[in-house]
Amino acid sequence: MKPVSASPLSPSVKVKLLNAGFLTSEELLQLKPLQLSKEGGLSLEEALEVQQILREGVDLPGEGGAGLGSTALELLQQEERSIVTFCSSLDAALGGGVPVGKTTELCGTPGMGKTQLCLQLCIDVQIPECFGGLGGEAVFVDTEGSLVVQRVADMAQAAVQHCCLQDQDAEQRDALKDFTTESLLGHLYLMRCHDYVELLAQVQLLPDFLVKNPKVRLLVIDSLAFPFRRHFEDLSVRTRLLSGLAQQLIRMACQHRVAVVWTNQMTSQLRGGQWELVPALGESWGHSATQRLLLHWSGGRRLASVFKSPSQSESSVAYSVTREGFRDAGPLASSPSGREQDSSRQSESKQDSSSQSGSKRPRTQEGQ
Amino acid sequence: MASKKLRRAGVSQELCELLNRHHVESCKDLLSLTPLEVMRVAGLSYQNALALMRSVSQHCAPPVTTLLELWKPKSESFFSTSLPALDDFLRGGLPLGTITEVAGPSGCGKTQMCVMLSVLATLPRSLGGLDAGVVYIDTESAFSAERLVEMAQARFPEHFSSRERVLQMASRVHVFRELTCQDVLNRLDRLEVDIISTKAGLVILDSVASVVRKEFDTTLPGNLASRSNLLTQEASTLKYLAHQFNIPVVLTNQITTYLGNGGGGVPGEGDSGYVIAALGNTWSHTVNTRLIVQYVDARQRQIVIAKSPVAPYAVLNYTIQKEGICLDGDNQEPMGEARDPGLQPIRVRTEFKYSLSQAVGTDGGS
Repeated sequence: MKPVSASPLSPSVKVKLLNAGFLTSEELLQLKPLQLSKEGGLSLEEALEVQQILREGVDLPGEGGAGLGSTALELLQQEERSIVTFCSSLDAALGGGVPVGKTTELCGTPGMGKTQLCLQLCIDVQIPECFGGLGGEAVFVDTEGSLVVQRVADMAQAAVQHCCLQDQDAEQRDALKDFTTESLLGHLYLMRCHDYVELLAQVQLLPDFLVKNPKVRLLVIDSLAFPFRRHFEDLSVRTRLLSGLAQQLIRMACQHRVAVVWTNQMTSQLRGGQWELVPALGESWGHSATQRLLLHWSGGRRLASVFKSPSQSESSVAYSVTREGFRDAGPLASSPSGREQDSSRQSESKQDSSSQSGSKRPRTQEGQ
Repeated sequence: MASKKLRRAGVSQELCELLNRHHVESCKDLLSLTPLEVMRVAGLSYQNALALMRSVSQHCAPPVTTLLELWKPKSESFFSTSLPALDDFLRGGLPLGTITEVAGPSGCGKTQMCVMLSVLATLPRSLGGLDAGVVYIDTESAFSAERLVEMAQARFPEHFSSRERVLQMASRVHVFRELTCQDVLNRLDRLEVDIISTKAGLVILDSVASVVRKEFDTTLPGNLASRSNLLTQEASTLKYLAHQFNIPVVLTNQITTYLGNGGGGVPGEGDSGYVIAALGNTWSHTVNTRLIVQYVDARQRQIVIAKSPVAPYAVLNYTIQKEGICLDGDNQEPMGEARDPGLQPIRVRTEFKYSLSQAVGTDGGS
């Protein structure tokens, strides 16, 4: 019993139908096109189009699969894998890694490693399934220009070597043949957007891209804040654009089974006479992501804190960024030429020290 | 691009006129609307409105590439600084297509670094240069052509042994003196033309902070926001040009005092604070690489890699000589710890050694 005024027809056609006294879409579908065109004052083609649109019915978002919800049991059984970060304590804090099908936000001051974590995820999503990864592809939308290809190549090489050092069975050995630095770089799609209009345009086109490339399992936007931190004559326009963007991203995450990760910046806010650093883009933006991570300094170490999550408790873990990429912070038996971002500061860590060794421990033995 | 008119984005004439009546003229205007608004304004059904937005998006969106296609050898992705230890940390040098900032107290060597990079950019590729021109935007009138020549001849004596080579190098460095914010903005607007006509391979803006700090008093309400706005605008233009022409952009920045736990470098009385790079937290996000130069003592100075997409936190010692910046030996232990690059403390000059009998020699910093 859908009213005509709420149907996805063009406004002029709607006005004519309402004037002719039609109230619900059922009434429109009961007539044949000739009769509809006479009674509604429409041309024949318009009448045909109206019936076609109404019959196709529900291409409206939010109505997709009306009545087809799933039970919690089905959701449990679906078992989507998460994308590991190669920092085992962070993976544990996130419940396995960055979840597919949900949106995650990374906030932090500059130089914390947000881009590094995003790049690490782009590589980790491509790890073959027999090694515990997703064997998928990644899309990187770059608005800041901080992506240096050489760095990604270094991280890719480290990941490949890490997998090579594992004990392998036949299937894994096979998978390794296709798992090279070149293939890792080849499955990482890059889109460089210079302003918010290009970003909006790109996000409009992404669903089609995801349909054409069904192996994509990760979408990274680095950073979402930068193009929107310019002058908007009307701040409400910015808020509206941002919430529209958030909606589209959430929909993409669900419908196409991708993990969506974006980075946010920090801004100074005057609170009670003191300047504080808070995530940028405003208070209302905080609701957009399902999960939020804050990367910050504390006592000379880099910490990642999960501060919004529907399934994990708030916690902070230490991490480091090395030549190989994003890794655990740890006592450093670094190889002579390996350089760690932290000078080895080893106070007690707050992380739940997961005893995972083996496949997740990223101590590669590469020399230089 | 954003301001592309709809007609050129493949939208039919009647539809364009219909949209113009509602003040929707460019791609930017159309994409800023929601689908429902587009339905109303263009008189289309929902499906057709979505299709219209998608086709307009296709005209605005950037092309998609894979990283494999962008992977180039080091010589084509980095600009070597001719300081081997620094290049090593930076995995080749300053990354092309990004913004590098050199921040530090006065007299520490920021302009010397800029002049040195100008010389390097004009060198042929066989010597590690870019074999290109330089656009040098000077806001402090600190550029000295004599110093440029002196540095070139001292650093590469064999190459610059003949006078013609020196003159040719000097003619490739184009210096623009801009002394107000508006002048700088105008210059940046015209920068695309300048880069093409001078065949530039390097853009230097020395310094980005001086004009901005002269004209914006951040204690007045609203000024902090307009200043941030201006800086973001400058940065967007520079990033766009850096990316399109695949050249490095080098900026210099000043310092400010930071007090307490906050951000934005708002100075005040009272507490002893410490010195950090100027222009605030938003600016620290904007630059891709931040190199901080600071003093150890009157003669010895250090370069700190505070923010980099490829390099870890590192500290290198250097002095300023006739041939420009010279790194010292192997003393590269990080002194102090890595911090938020927006809040990295910078050591300033605390004493001023003054000796009557010493002539002005190689101690000149600038």
